[in-house]
Amino acid sequence: MRSALQQRLRSELRTSLVLLVLVAAVPILVRNDYWLGVLIVSMYFALLAGGWNLLAGYTGQFSLAPATFAMLGAYGTGLLAYHWHVSPWLTIPAGILVAMVVGMVLAGIVMRLRGPYLALTTLSFAEIMRIVIGNSYGFTRGDLGLSIPTLMNDRLAWYYVFLAAVVAMQFGLYALLRSRVGLYLMAIRDDEIGAASRGVNTVFWKTASFTLSSALSGLAGVLYAYFSSLVSPELGLLLQTGLVICMVFIGGIASLAGPVIGAFLVYLTSESLRAVGGVQLIVFALLVILIARFFRDGLWGLARRILERPAR
Amino acid sequence: MLSLNIDLLANGLIMGSFYALMAIGLTLIFGLLQIVNFAHGEFYMVGAYAYTLAALKLGLPAWAGLPVAFAVGALVGWLTERTLMRPLYAGYRSWGPMKDEYAIVVTFALSLLLINLVDKVIGPYAVLGPGLVDVARIPLGPVMLTGQKLIATIIAFSTIIATALFIRYSLWGRQIRAVAQNRLGASLAGIDTTKASSIIFALSGALAALSGGLLAPIINTTPDVGSFPAIKSYVIVVLGGMGSIPGSIAASLILGVLESFGAVYISYDYRDAFGLVILIVVLLVRPQGLFGEKGREV
Repeated sequence: MRSALQQRLRSELRTSLVLLVLVAAVPILVRNDYWLGVLIVSMYFALLAGGWNLLAGYTGQFSLAPATFAMLGAYGTGLLAYHWHVSPWLTIPAGILVAMVVGMVLAGIVMRLRGPYLALTTLSFAEIMRIVIGNSYGFTRGDLGLSIPTLMNDRLAWYYVFLAAVVAMQFGLYALLRSRVGLYLMAIRDDEIGAASRGVNTVFWKTASFTLSSALSGLAGVLYAYFSSLVSPELGLLLQTGLVICMVFIGGIASLAGPVIGAFLVYLTSESLRAVGGVQLIVFALLVILIARFFRDGLWGLARRILERPAR
Repeated sequence: MLSLNIDLLANGLIMGSFYALMAIGLTLIFGLLQIVNFAHGEFYMVGAYAYTLAALKLGLPAWAGLPVAFAVGALVGWLTERTLMRPLYAGYRSWGPMKDEYAIVVTFALSLLLINLVDKVIGPYAVLGPGLVDVARIPLGPVMLTGQKLIATIIAFSTIIATALFIRYSLWGRQIRAVAQNRLGASLAGIDTTKASSIIFALSGALAALSGGLLAPIINTTPDVGSFPAIKSYVIVVLGGMGSIPGSIAASLILGVLESFGAVYISYDYRDAFGLVILIVVLLVRPQGLFGEKGREV
């Protein structure tokens, strides 16, 4: 017999896959390069949001550095490609590895602490990494960024590469969360001392979650670096992290479908509102505050409650 | 060489006094609610704009901008507490363990909101506030200071001392300390704990905004100007021990001096990165901070 949690995960996976199938069908109707680009960036954010949700939503560790790890992954790849013209077969894993290892080291330092220390340290880490990369003109070309050769000029091919990454992430997270490890993570989120007292190695699993989340961010950053063929410190702006948090909260935190829904919804809205100019972030920030204050499981949770009501 | 060092020391202490003005508000909120306010930098930004626009748009004399900044900061802080912090005090049983997360997300979103609101309403371009005094340079022993810096430092120091005295001796200050020690106990003794929180947030906003007003003639004000003072304050409250006022004052001065010397002797480009190194070392070696007590866990 499947538990309620497993049933819930399965229905969330199904919903997100339906959405992704729809996204896969979009190029049949839309061949406009601009809108394909917008959807590609949405999928970049879906990867970041999914990774952050694993850490914040399922493990309860609120890092404020998802965008920073994307930047680190992009620079890991970009520096190898720019200075030494290393083959993409090596630079792509190298970029992901950089994000992962830095994430692991940082987690090793901060995961022994509780409460707001993690948010504080990751926020400072994020800003300082951006300063260090932005100021090391000799090596990283500072704010100018690194231009690297792209791998494919076909936007449609990139579209499906990003889509495949998001789909793979959803299956991977599903498998992880329905396993024993998923229970460890959620136990840590719900009651850390309680979990430790039942023999869960909380520091180990928190570090593992942080590392995996950083690796997902790194993957997003690496793909984005080759897609846009430009690596710049702007990838790590705090604003980008703010967007990721908005996406996860608006879509619905601690659900498999929420972050993906949120990423498309927020980024597409933000592009459509671009003509109005500057109001989108005001709207999103207000929405996040309202959601956190009044219905904290976001749009996905709201939809689920409305759907489930008649059945009860 | 010696005069250079004295110069660096003086400038470090001056920057440290502005940091302290910022950090005290943050540490007070932490002491009371055990949360970190990620919109603290935006209180600074609001103050810097209030000071500058009072002079440029309303035509008030420069010194009158400081009480305006103080009042606007107090208002923003008070509103933050009224609208966003109330769920933290009681009830909301269902998300008891999510208290930290609620505070982080709400204040972070508030910071995004304020930055973009100001960006939209006032505009993204930088503005520089009018100076408090016209005197260009004042020799103070072996150190030459600009008049603005000297006056601003004196105001910052007096405000810090006044705040410390207020918290220590006034009735409200005693009530606040009681609530910080034991919220339930304080409420049993007849103290209005919600009012204590309101006072703390208003005071915290006012101090950060005053710091913004004092620095507005020295540092260009933009909608995102608050992020650096805020990050410095985070480093300071960790270094000084979360919740400790003397600790955060000492840590502010230490950080100011370290940065001032580091910028000359180590690297100017990375001067803002020293804070992180300090933060990480402190978290590794002495997570309770220089002056904090070791945390007690339930």
